[in-house]
Amino acid sequence: MLISVEMPDSAEAAHASLQAGAVPLGGGTHLLTRMNDEAGPDLRVVSLRKAGLRGIDVDGDTVTLGAATTLADLEDDPRLGYLAGCVRSIASPPVRTLATVAGNLFVPQPYGDLAAALLALDAELDVLGTAGLRRERLERVVADGLPEGELVTRIRFTAPAPGTFRFHKASRRRLNSGSIVTVAARLTVEDGLVGDVRLVLGGLSRRLLRAAGAERVLRGAPLTAEVVAEAAGADVIEPFDDAYASAWYRARVYPVHLRRALLGA
Amino acid sequence: MGRLTPIDTTYFKDERAGDFTVIGSAVQRSDARGHVTGRTLFFEDLTPPGLTHVKIHRSTRHHARIDRVDVSGALEVPGVLRVITHEDVPNNWYVVLRLIGVGPDDEPVLAEDRVLYRGEPIVAVVAETEEAAREGAARVVVDYTDLPAVLDVEAALADGAPIIKQAGTNHFVYEGHPCRRIRFGDVERGFAEADRIIEGRYSSSPIEHAPVEPTGCIVVPQGDGRLRIHSNTQAAFFTLDNTALILGVPPTSLRVVGGTVGGGFGGKVDVIVEPLACLAAMLTGRPAKYVYSRAEEMQVSSTRAAEHIHIKDGVMDDGRIVARQVTLYVDAGAYSRHSPYGTTKAAAHMPGPYTIPNVHVDCYCVYTNRTPSSAMRGFGVTIGDFALESHMDHVARELGMDPLRLRLKNAYRDGDMKAHRKIASGTALVEVIQSAADLVGHDLPPEYRAMSSAERPEG
Amino acid sequence: MPSTIVTLKLNGTERELIARPSTTLLSALRDTFGLTGAKRGCAQGGCGSCTVLLDGRPAVSCLIPVVTVDGCAVETVEGLADGDRLDDVQQAFVDHFATQCGFCTPGMIMSATALLNREPAPTRQDVTEAICGNVCRCTGYEPIVTAVLSAAESRRDGAAEGRHDSAAERRHDGAGERHRDAAAPLSGKAAG
Repeated sequence: MLISVEMPDSAEAAHASLQAGAVPLGGGTHLLTRMNDEAGPDLRVVSLRKAGLRGIDVDGDTVTLGAATTLADLEDDPRLGYLAGCVRSIASPPVRTLATVAGNLFVPQPYGDLAAALLALDAELDVLGTAGLRRERLERVVADGLPEGELVTRIRFTAPAPGTFRFHKASRRRLNSGSIVTVAARLTVEDGLVGDVRLVLGGLSRRLLRAAGAERVLRGAPLTAEVVAEAAGADVIEPFDDAYASAWYRARVYPVHLRRALLGA
Repeated sequence: MGRLTPIDTTYFKDERAGDFTVIGSAVQRSDARGHVTGRTLFFEDLTPPGLTHVKIHRSTRHHARIDRVDVSGALEVPGVLRVITHEDVPNNWYVVLRLIGVGPDDEPVLAEDRVLYRGEPIVAVVAETEEAAREGAARVVVDYTDLPAVLDVEAALADGAPIIKQAGTNHFVYEGHPCRRIRFGDVERGFAEADRIIEGRYSSSPIEHAPVEPTGCIVVPQGDGRLRIHSNTQAAFFTLDNTALILGVPPTSLRVVGGTVGGGFGGKVDVIVEPLACLAAMLTGRPAKYVYSRAEEMQVSSTRAAEHIHIKDGVMDDGRIVARQVTLYVDAGAYSRHSPYGTTKAAAHMPGPYTIPNVHVDCYCVYTNRTPSSAMRGFGVTIGDFALESHMDHVARELGMDPLRLRLKNAYRDGDMKAHRKIASGTALVEVIQSAADLVGHDLPPEYRAMSSAERPEG
Repeated sequence: MPSTIVTLKLNGTERELIARPSTTLLSALRDTFGLTGAKRGCAQGGCGSCTVLLDGRPAVSCLIPVVTVDGCAVETVEGLADGDRLDDVQQAFVDHFATQCGFCTPGMIMSATALLNREPAPTRQDVTEAICGNVCRCTGYEPIVTAVLSAAESRRDGAAEGRHDSAAERRHDGAGERHRDAAAPLSGKAAG
């Protein structure tokens, strides 16, 4: 159970508490579900709510999100309209009021839809460690995690050019449901051919998956149903069973949702 | 507010005097103001001083012998006041159906030497706080020897299936028979005379009621020695009587305060939480709360039974059904609760609202190592109707016949002898189908339009 | 286990409580302040029956350690009515049979209130999205959606007629400002 909740007023103070063995508490929408229901060892948490980590900066095409910025904040910000579909597909308004951007980076699949979008946008993180602040690519953190005691303070990415960001999520209910398949992509098309492409899949593996095989198929190819179908077969996916869908079902419908994400139908 | 559609009183004109005055008009709910202001009191809205909390250590196995239960770890948790095992329960049987004369008692309040489903309660822990109770429950250690589990109704009845019930059969016994039966006419002769035999197999999964308010109660010891039970039970007197039987106290020593149910749908008819909460209050002399977590509500509260239903019809080319054989399996899960009764209801519902001269029905109440099923909105009937009406559509498709005409042709009429040897009366099915057809713009030819529940056409 | 004194602006009034680290906002409201309108349906943030307004935003109070919202404005269903006079959303729920067992109703009304405070003229789709975190197992949602749309209409009518609604005004000031402050641009303090 929770035996202490610290409320540091800076990232440095929060980091110091983490070094002393506490765990970070963002919105609590993942951690508290366990604390409310499960027995377990005593836990000390560090709330990031007042650590000065909430806010959104847009400077030219560079977007910086404070780690404790809530999903509701993103939803409210007209400068981030391209993320609205993704954010509104996550949980429900009374959960999005609490849930934070950095929290979403570390929830297990099939959650973490915002992380999928940020990975498609090749976001990088400011991470506060014992050696001070450093930058990490989100892609590496998704693959390897972060050492205990380190703190994500900022998430930074380049805003996608208009029309180049795609997000599509298949779920059991249209709203407020974990993902069956999530597709997030940044993709440019020049002269009818795919140029730059970064494609990220959720719901199809225990971790978010960069669909490198599909990217290779797509790059330089026309964006047609045939090419997208080929792309859907180009990666090794490792879907899983859960209350939302079976592994079989996820694998079965992935090509359909990749098509819907990239071709719109 | 006007009525959506006029009420057709012609069918019942000789039975009802006057007009409907409430149906179709807007009447404010008596409880609405309380609901919208948050002032309606649900059981958990009470916080008596000194309230203790009950949490349960549950079986992690589908079917196992219990070799050892060690509660010492629970007692070491600060704030834990008591553990309760089966030895502390005066009469360790849930006896829901004994009150209506159905036995045998088959479900322990707390498991004794075996568990028959995953989630079966073994030890109750009473503590000062919910966290301590939860931690205490988690620290109970149970050693098991796994036994073969049966998870499917038909597998449970197959030759050589492991017998999971101490009564000796994996099915409930109805007056010496393995199933609830209907025998009417001669179904084999009916099949022989039929133009077509049309069969179907239908099945359903368990369905959880998922009330937004979890099942629970708060028991408050009174100055006069009685226990006041604040419960969200749907059946206050069932709760009173069953709890008294389990505790071995006269019913007058208990008082049930209920009436506000945050969603029940039949799921709050079993008497599961009250006996243990009462026991906790008796053993500690303090108020006790036992409420399911959401996970418990989903996993261990009763479900609507899963069913397998096989239907075999003998059908004439003109659509008359001349024989119907139904074999129905209700998955009671590990214990009876209301399922033997539900299975009887299923049998009573066959062969549907149709007049069929030859009927043969076998309805089995089957035990498996799954979460016990019990009451839920029309239990025993709803899944049967799903199967029957799906099958009627199937027959209609096979015959190339309009499904409404198939139903009109076979619908029971007033005066018909039903398979249960009761005379049908007040049926109105023909008129309802005709009205429904009108409402959806479905054409019926004149001879179907002219049909009436009052008379059966020749043929 | 150190306990802390927490201050909340609760339905417009400053209130204090002594809270343990594990005390949730829901438990503080129900057990300390006796405001039992917010319900515990799942303790998982999944059913929405504990929804309250936190600095003007709908929030599942079961997932909030109350010490983390020290100083925040919290509004519950008990704060909506003006004495015996129901507010527009409550009245619409009564009029449209949008309650059955009543357990989800307070949370549903708070989600609806949050929507109408932000969007006076919601579409049916807006309402559906606003209540997608509130589970109702009885009514089938349609009467609820109808009630919220009707409440929006009567509020607009009331505003057009210049009707004085102190409860609505209280919700519109303070809390909303605080929310915008919180989402202000980054200070750059730890931006490196």
